[in-house]
Amino acid sequence: MPPCPSGARWFVACALVAVVATGAIGLTRTPPSKPATDISSLYDANCANCHGKDGRGDGVAAGLLNPAPRDFSRGVYKFRSTASGSLPSDDDLVRVISAGLPGTSMPSWKVRLTSAQIGALASYIKTFSPRFANERPAPVKMAPAVAASADSINKGRKVYSDLACGACHGDIGSTSGATAPELKDDWGRDIKPADLTQPWTFRGGATATDIYTRMKAGIDGTPMPSFADAAKDADLWNLANYVGSLGRKPTWKMTADELNAQYARERKEAAANPAGRGRYLAATLGCAHCHSPVDADGRELPGLIFAGGQKFRMAVWGNIVTPNLTSDNETGIGRYSDDDLKRAITRGIKHDETRMLPFPMGWPAFASLSDPDLNALVAYLRTIPPVTNAIPAPERLNIAAYLAAKFKMLILGRDYPLVIFAGNAGSAGNGGGRAPAAGR
Amino acid sequence: MKKILKWVVSVILVLAVCGFVAFLYLIPPLTSVAPDEFIKQMASSAPAVDGIADPAERLIAERGRYLVLTADCAGCHTTQGPQGPRSEMFLAGGLTFATNTHGTPVSRNLTPDRETGLGGRSDQEIKMVLRSGMFHTGRSISPRAMPWPGFSIWTDEDLHAVITYLRHIKSVRHAIPDPGPGRADAIVPNATEVVSTVDAGK
Repeated sequence: MPPCPSGARWFVACALVAVVATGAIGLTRTPPSKPATDISSLYDANCANCHGKDGRGDGVAAGLLNPAPRDFSRGVYKFRSTASGSLPSDDDLVRVISAGLPGTSMPSWKVRLTSAQIGALASYIKTFSPRFANERPAPVKMAPAVAASADSINKGRKVYSDLACGACHGDIGSTSGATAPELKDDWGRDIKPADLTQPWTFRGGATATDIYTRMKAGIDGTPMPSFADAAKDADLWNLANYVGSLGRKPTWKMTADELNAQYARERKEAAANPAGRGRYLAATLGCAHCHSPVDADGRELPGLIFAGGQKFRMAVWGNIVTPNLTSDNETGIGRYSDDDLKRAITRGIKHDETRMLPFPMGWPAFASLSDPDLNALVAYLRTIPPVTNAIPAPERLNIAAYLAAKFKMLILGRDYPLVIFAGNAGSAGNGGGRAPAAGR
Repeated sequence: MKKILKWVVSVILVLAVCGFVAFLYLIPPLTSVAPDEFIKQMASSAPAVDGIADPAERLIAERGRYLVLTADCAGCHTTQGPQGPRSEMFLAGGLTFATNTHGTPVSRNLTPDRETGLGGRSDQEIKMVLRSGMFHTGRSISPRAMPWPGFSIWTDEDLHAVITYLRHIKSVRHAIPDPGPGRADAIVPNATEVVSTVDAGK
């Protein structure tokens, strides 16, 4: 500490110097540990909800997301500028964090975080996998671009057919309807090939360079391979230009006539693939939100998605446990006819003619589903692999408790909250097996 | 004479108590109301889109109405009174959801009111909540309290339709407080969520 001359002014000046000096010493001394804790709390606050505290892709919100959040512990990344099987570059990670992944739950973080924070997070997620300590990313070799002329697009159309892109992405570059086969990623989850007519959903961007890079690098962990060895660079550029030409107008830019045509097309596609449409409906209506048991944090128990077992305490109405929606013949919906299911979904009348309350099951809302959508939903439920999880009957309160509860609720006007309990109240215990993925 | 009066009063008292208990017991449970009543109330609380002049916007809002209605947004976002959901407060918020991971959020006002609803929020900000469970303030919401992982599956076009419809519903001034602290399992042991329907808004 420097000696201080007398006088208040000097005292203040010295104090300032001391503070700055301490700060500086702090800065020079702490970097190895201090930023690490800052970054881990930044990660916990912003990333852990989906990617999990340990980066395993198992955050509280992960269970029903599709695509599922990245499991950083494997060190396998989809959207890279590096060779297939190679680690992503730092720039790749930074790009995904800043720009987000369109069409998924991964938002663009550049609106919220500084570039320094994004860079630090990119470094931080690398620590979850030992691969980054032992390997180096191998960037793909980018050949000079071919301009998107009519000639190039025509050539690209031929490449599209030569490389059999249509086997997954559809003959006209669309995945809609029944043309998309069942595809799984390396984690065994169902995934869909990109719909090439909707460039705004391209995760890694929709410019010709983005598309070209995707074909050079492949999408690791998924059935989308790298075509770096299968085709010449010029052909991949032509293909990128062709794919770039397939985009249709998004509905928010359409005229009324175009919208009517688009909606008619969607209805036709849904009719051709009812289970696919039903899967989308089941996911977006949140069926699994209540028809799966959850742990105390709200994480779906593994292997029991759609298997029911979530227990509700319904004030004066006693306890109910959500039914098993899997196709199991003994404990699931395999026992019920289509009409039984439709009546339960849209009118709250169970197969045994007893009535449901108008909540938490949203049948008064589901009553507005169109007939084709209701049929599609039932068609999808039939395809959910059976899980044995016997659900107990509703428990009514005994008469004394019932009267006491009603008195408190109706006469004293007391708040009688609805309670949802953690754990599986069905017969299957607390997990096991593999969960079916939510569907887009 | 006095004795008779005593008897009469006692009988009246006993009858009153029995009557009250019977009244309590017999207050009709919700399941005695016909399903159509609930269905009608639900469908009619979501305003139609006929008033939208631009035909393309009207078509998109019609799609949005279908999505908002069938996804039961109203189940958690329509303000409740002693008689259940208040149709005139369609999507005006106010239910409280205690969770174990994200405190005790209150369902937001989704009507176009500038100060208390979505009027001041951009499409992008609303989409971020539906897709990623994150508010413009940086706060995130529990997937228990709000089933956003389900809504995240909506295509961009369907999300846009939902937001378009929300821009056209009736504006209601109803201020929603910020989430409170606390845990669901502190209120009821082993709970993962505790939902109160008493209106927490102003």
